[in-house]
Amino acid sequence: MILPWKIIKLLVWVLFTVTLSLKFVAVSFASTVLTLENCHLGEIRAQVKCGKLDVPENYSKPNGTKISINFAVLPAIDNSEYKTPLMFLAGGPGQAAVELATALNRVFREVRKTRDIILVDQRGTGESSALACDLEAIDNVYSALSDALTPEEIKDCVAQFKGDVTQYNSENAIRDFDVIRAALGHEKINIYGGSYGTRAGLVFMRMFPESLDSVILDSVGPIEVPIGMFGQSGARSFNLLIENCKKSESCHKAFPDLAQEFQTVKARLGKEPITLDILHPRLGTPTQLVLDDSKFTGNLRFQLYGMRGRSMVPLVIHQAFLGNYQPLIGLMAQNEGEQMVYTGLLFNIVCNEDMPRLSAADKAIDANNDFDGKNSHQAWDMVCPYFPEFRPNEAFYQSVTADIPTLILSGDLDPVTPPSNGEFSAKSLPNSHHIIVENASHTVALTTCANEIVNEFLTSKLPKKLDESCLKDIPQETFMTSVNGVQ
Amino acid sequence: MRDNSSMNLYLYQLKSLILKEYKEAFRDKRALLVALMMALLAPVAIVLMSKIMIEKLVDEPPVYVNFNGAEYAPKLIKYFADNNLLNLVDAPVDEKLIWQQRNIVMDIPQDYETDMAQGKPIKLYLRADFTDKAVGPPVRRINNAVRSYSLSIGYKRLLLRGVDVRLLNPLTLVEQDTAKPDATFILISMMLGIYLMLAAFMSGLSVAIDSSAGERERNVLEMLLCQPVSTLQIVLAKLIGASTISIIGVVLVLVLTSLSVGLVDLTKIGATFTLDIMTSLTLLLLLLPICFFASACQLFVAFQTKSFKEAQSTVSILIGIPAFIPFVVSMMDDRPQWLNWLPVAGQSMIIENIFKGVDVNWLAFLATSVVTIAITVTLVVVLAKKLRSEKVVMALS
Repeated sequence: MILPWKIIKLLVWVLFTVTLSLKFVAVSFASTVLTLENCHLGEIRAQVKCGKLDVPENYSKPNGTKISINFAVLPAIDNSEYKTPLMFLAGGPGQAAVELATALNRVFREVRKTRDIILVDQRGTGESSALACDLEAIDNVYSALSDALTPEEIKDCVAQFKGDVTQYNSENAIRDFDVIRAALGHEKINIYGGSYGTRAGLVFMRMFPESLDSVILDSVGPIEVPIGMFGQSGARSFNLLIENCKKSESCHKAFPDLAQEFQTVKARLGKEPITLDILHPRLGTPTQLVLDDSKFTGNLRFQLYGMRGRSMVPLVIHQAFLGNYQPLIGLMAQNEGEQMVYTGLLFNIVCNEDMPRLSAADKAIDANNDFDGKNSHQAWDMVCPYFPEFRPNEAFYQSVTADIPTLILSGDLDPVTPPSNGEFSAKSLPNSHHIIVENASHTVALTTCANEIVNEFLTSKLPKKLDESCLKDIPQETFMTSVNGVQ
Repeated sequence: MRDNSSMNLYLYQLKSLILKEYKEAFRDKRALLVALMMALLAPVAIVLMSKIMIEKLVDEPPVYVNFNGAEYAPKLIKYFADNNLLNLVDAPVDEKLIWQQRNIVMDIPQDYETDMAQGKPIKLYLRADFTDKAVGPPVRRINNAVRSYSLSIGYKRLLLRGVDVRLLNPLTLVEQDTAKPDATFILISMMLGIYLMLAAFMSGLSVAIDSSAGERERNVLEMLLCQPVSTLQIVLAKLIGASTISIIGVVLVLVLTSLSVGLVDLTKIGATFTLDIMTSLTLLLLLLPICFFASACQLFVAFQTKSFKEAQSTVSILIGIPAFIPFVVSMMDDRPQWLNWLPVAGQSMIIENIFKGVDVNWLAFLATSVVTIAITVTLVVVLAKKLRSEKVVMALS
């Protein structure tokens, strides 16, 4: 009874899934190393699928050391009509895509109705041989200054890395992604890259254009613009905030001298760091706040990434001007102790793929701004000399020209990947369209209705003929004017 | 040689009898259509029910509130509007009257702005007839909106005082549903399960009664028994006739449902339902014995009764079984092992598992099928024996 039934089942399977059988071959080819099982991820209620795949650490030595790549599939809710899945390429560099599952499941819920969403921990992040070390856990963000890191600590950190760190580069990450695509049995996929994920996406387009159905680049870090120089872009974003405050009646009334107050506080802290006795925002026990100008502007810069953070910036500056640093402390507390990126991979990639291309003159131009000067270079200057060296080949730095339907998104208020970045890719990619969202900041599809446009684009593949009307309804940025609430 | 020819004769007679039953069953097209009506209505009911459920679960239709003092709290009003809670004055003409009657009123105090700036608690007053059923959901939504808006301000107030706002959420309960990722919309699978059982039991019902109690009253049964055929052949023919109609009913439910669920966008509520060929075939195979079992039960009972009328009312009670047993089984938390073996109960548990996406337990499948067939065979044999007695044939007792 049981056996013939299985044979019938198999026959029917073969009959009705001629197209699928191709994929079957692909899976069985890689099945010695691919595992995929049901699992719970983050705060997603339903089960999803988690997998691991062994890949060569060095692709030019396929039989050499293997590393395990962690990935997850948020399966399509209705997969009756097979649609090509969407792979999410995380930012950073150094964010682990699988760790973002909860938020992505929410943002891409429309996409997930009919498409699998594939999340891969880029090698060096998450559970894919993370490049992490004790340095990640800075004990006290309140009392530590940003230049407190010593060369010894950095050297110790680098010494903790296992494996050949020079293989943890963008191109190998893309090779991993494409191997996972094939192992999951997909002939083609769509990719969404956000922030550094756009750089990864562009590399993907150059290396494996035949694997891609369509591409979304959100807040672009093009090959043409080295990652890491955020002086000018940060100042631009900050000055837009100051202008928008001026335009807003309530904000201008509450903070008429905002720009001047900011410069005053910066100069005051630049002259001499202040030390304040405070209560630890989380522990409630006495501790100290040590604040200098670069810590001050660094925390403000971080708020510029999103609309919620931006809405508090004028108030925080004004209160600091009055000598009240509690609002700033509250901002610092929001993500205290949470690891946002795997810094080992962050430095490994930026120090080797982007920094070597910058001349002293480039850096001087970038540092010539009235927001935070050369502070955004500080981390690279301090850490990069101690990281193992590798250099991508020249092809890596060529503009990407793949003829794949591509949707490019930029937020006008973005402090790190301004719309001018997106223009580089819009120019070099023939089948692309660049949408600049006026009242949005970094990664617009993750924070605005642009995710609906992404969904539409995945279906139509026509980047120039999308319904962009919902973007007009995004309100102008508004600002908090009192520590007691919105009004 | 002789054995073979008598066997051939036996089969030939059986075939003639079955043809006779089919002719009887299919003659009255309207009666047949009514008998299959249940099966035809199943997909309609399933689609309608799902649509209503989905609407209740996800749709947030506009609610119009009569705000007093909206001008004192423009940002609050904007937040309400983002949640589709709108000002009554903006209601479209066709809806205005309804909302004026419901008359949900919110009072916003005049000193809202100064109290907010000074950190004083503010009271908003919501007035409505809370016993009015139509007022319930809007009030709930207003409540939620006020609570989350209030919380978001509270969070910011603490943040701006240098407090780690994560302190406000000491515990978070993360629910992890262990259902298979491809588990289907429970409502549809439950309804379909019951409909399939009902189709198996109900579609052949009228044919079974007509070919037993009906034929007796029309004196056709006597004629049949006078022919040189065995009573077993007669019973078998009647069984096959009635259960064919049941099977048609089940197939109709499966085909029409698989076609019609496509009309519902279940993804709205994060669910899906596909009745693919494999699942349909498995379900059909599972229900085949039930179709025969149902017809055998109905024939058996109908022959025991004295009149057509009595047969109708008695057999109708039998229909309770397919509706009642799956319901009881689904309510039971600890199911005793022997339930797996019982006809109807065993099948309905397997159906439940199929829809949950659990792999079919082929052993249980086999067991319940064998038991069902065994009971059916017993019923047929006993009935054939009984038909030899005049008491049953003439409805004497």
